[in-house]
Amino acid sequence: MHGMPEGGVGQTAAAAMRPLLALESLGKRFGNLQALKDVALEFRAGEVHCLLGENGAGKSTLCNLIFGVYRPDEGVMRFAGKEWAPSGPAEALDSGIAMVHQHFSLVPRMTVVENLMLGQSRGILKRRQFAAMIRATAERFGFTLDPEAVVGELSVGERQRTEIVKCLMREPRLLVLDEPTAVLPPGEIGALLDICRRVADSGRAVILVTHKLAEIAKVADRVSVLRGGQVVAKAEMASADMGALVRAMVGREVKSLDVALAEAAGRTETRAGGDEKAPHALVCDGLGVRDRHGATRLDNFTLEIRAGEIVGLAGVEGNGQSELGMVLAGLLRPSAGRFFIGDTDLTAAGAAAVTAAGGGIVPEDRHAVACVTGMSVAENMYLNKLGQFTRFGLLRRKALNEAARGLMRNFDVRAAGPEAAFSGLSGGNQQKAVLARELTLSPLKALVAAQPTRGLDINAVEAVYRQIRAAANRGAGVLLISSELDELIAVADRIVVLYRGRLVGERPARASERGAIGALMSGQAA
Amino acid sequence: MSALVLALPDRRRIARLAIPLGVVITSLLVSLLLIAISGRSVPEAIEAFLDGAFGTAFAFGASVNRAVALSMVGLGFILAFRANLTNVGGEGQIAVGGIAATAVALHGHVADLPLGLAVLLPILAGTLAGAAWGGIAGLLKVRFGTNEVISTLLLGFIALLMVYWSVQSTALLRQPQTSSATLPESLPIPPLTRLPGLTPDPESPLHVGLIICLLAAVATAVVLQRSTFGLRLRAIGLNELAARRAGMPGGLLLMAALAIAGGFGGLAGAIMLQGEQYYLKTGFSSGYGFDGLVVGLLSRGSAIGVLAGALFFGFLRSGGISMEIMAGVPAALTLVIQGLIVIAVAGSVILIEKLDKEPR
Repeated sequence: MHGMPEGGVGQTAAAAMRPLLALESLGKRFGNLQALKDVALEFRAGEVHCLLGENGAGKSTLCNLIFGVYRPDEGVMRFAGKEWAPSGPAEALDSGIAMVHQHFSLVPRMTVVENLMLGQSRGILKRRQFAAMIRATAERFGFTLDPEAVVGELSVGERQRTEIVKCLMREPRLLVLDEPTAVLPPGEIGALLDICRRVADSGRAVILVTHKLAEIAKVADRVSVLRGGQVVAKAEMASADMGALVRAMVGREVKSLDVALAEAAGRTETRAGGDEKAPHALVCDGLGVRDRHGATRLDNFTLEIRAGEIVGLAGVEGNGQSELGMVLAGLLRPSAGRFFIGDTDLTAAGAAAVTAAGGGIVPEDRHAVACVTGMSVAENMYLNKLGQFTRFGLLRRKALNEAARGLMRNFDVRAAGPEAAFSGLSGGNQQKAVLARELTLSPLKALVAAQPTRGLDINAVEAVYRQIRAAANRGAGVLLISSELDELIAVADRIVVLYRGRLVGERPARASERGAIGALMSGQAA
Repeated sequence: MSALVLALPDRRRIARLAIPLGVVITSLLVSLLLIAISGRSVPEAIEAFLDGAFGTAFAFGASVNRAVALSMVGLGFILAFRANLTNVGGEGQIAVGGIAATAVALHGHVADLPLGLAVLLPILAGTLAGAAWGGIAGLLKVRFGTNEVISTLLLGFIALLMVYWSVQSTALLRQPQTSSATLPESLPIPPLTRLPGLTPDPESPLHVGLIICLLAAVATAVVLQRSTFGLRLRAIGLNELAARRAGMPGGLLLMAALAIAGGFGGLAGAIMLQGEQYYLKTGFSSGYGFDGLVVGLLSRGSAIGVLAGALFFGFLRSGGISMEIMAGVPAALTLVIQGLIVIAVAGSVILIEKLDKEPR
């Protein structure tokens, strides 16, 4: 424990005198982009400090400066009273700063203890001793972790806890968590926040990066808001005005998410479901998927979506949504059943045919399926329509960029230009670009959007749903797959629930149905 | 103040030239030191090297012809590499190209065909054979997920043994009458099926393969930079799943990339046979496939880089052989020197990349 006393009120008060980490007029630029400017912040031992901000506000850059991944262009950092200019993450780790990244760095085929020994053990491996240390560390912070479990078989939450234990075993004085809740299913967020609290209570400083405001209230001692690379608000959580924080974050007046969504959806409470006489847009007839081990992932999935209708598919993640998404995208052949877009049977037709039939797909895993981050914005926005810009086999790049420029304007995709690297865009802008590509199929008969707002900030969420609603109003049938029940209720016309690969019920999309839908999602028969 | 700002990118531009130059000169000096240590005369070795590389019209032409073969393999390599495929089977693709070109050139009345067909048909056959050889690796990859590094390498060994087999067996390409003094080899291909010379100088072995090679380089550059096909290869190389989702025929693209790479290897084989060697024998491909692979790797995906690297290697190889024969520098040592230079060039590429990444 490095002689660190167990935390308590007295400790917190003493630490409040002198911050563990202080940032003074910190600045960082990447080319023309001023990622951070004049940032002055203090982080204290024994406290959970939330960094709040939209995508692209500079939160991750700040974390990477603290962790030594980047070096600041201006300003200084002080850690434990001394100037802090780390040469890299290795020095940060040695000096007592640990970071849990958004993307995990674990070897799926190895066990938890093997993964943790990778970076921290030399010579003869003391597996048993290490396993005991893992158990003890987890226990100390109020959770359990099986050291012998194979990482690939763990849930996302368990993998994240593995990463946290990896950090905590180094006994850091400062723990940085970059967007830790973005990857978690709703049920596991509470447990993570408990861990953060306990880590802080043990006398360490915790920096929790997030853009989900509701999470902050539960755990933070202090909150700082970043916007456009600058600190625009600082508050003690006890006396904070939540409305003011949101305003500071988005830089304009916003209503609550529900109101914003309902407005974006253009839907009133009295709106009836889809038009009974409208033609079918998307029909799933008894779709079934078995995985490599023969286990049933999707079972007799039957659903009819009419033109102009938005059907929400609710369910806890891992209940067959991914498989359904892959089948409808034309990337996975179902082991049973058929599906149609309009009248076209696309069961075994492949991705190109789905696109040709007017099926827009917003895949759940943006980086793995939706885009090629190593290519330009324009190339990604027309990835499925490159043929339009081809003459004698050659790509008419000017025409492509010109078209992309128009699309970027219509869909508010913010980037330096059509030739900008796609990887440089914020998550929200990437998603808007993918939507732009899929919504501009002509004709667009059906849209399948899987977790389209994951990792996006409020403004981007609103923009995404406004576009999806507009597509439905133009006559597309929409299947919206999401684990965010509030969003589904705000946007969809009716909600069906998937549990263990089966449709277990259908409810109207009303706030009063939240309890009933929740029960269906958790497997309790309606 | 403004002078300082302007000076910065300049310094970088100079470093860009100075680093590779300095590195190559250093490795050459080290090489000379090695020669001196091995007890040979350094001036003699230098003279032999220069003589062998550029000294005479013959030496110069032979060096350029080597560079042509290396370029073809390198161009194929960078094309497949755009789709993130590593084709290490250049050696075998050259070999099957050589076999096919020999077989067609020696076949019946091909030598009597008009309109240059006597030359073109064997070239076409060699190219197609190489493409088929590369395509097999592509098919294995798409159907069974076989790693192309392994399949192209092993197919290469098969091809080398096929050369051996075809020149050993009279039922195939072995010349009918061999004395115990001659190695098993094919009959020489008829003069009319050989590549025409490029210069009136009878001393110079330069042939039209150089033109074919330059055309191929331009075509490769256009495909990689300007064509939709090139962009699709890039997409599939960067993210195969996303490319498939966007409706690209993933399997076909991968197979095409490897087939084209193989085709370039086969073309190199045909050009080597019809341009210089004129008959097939074991060891026909003599390491060009692997040197071409290195050329492709060092070029960092640029067709011009391939041409430059191939010229460099062509001269190096010619000079090395001459050093071996004229100055008695051991063959192993010339290989060591070549290796040194490859490492030096590769290292300077990394240094330059590092320089580019530095801020300001």
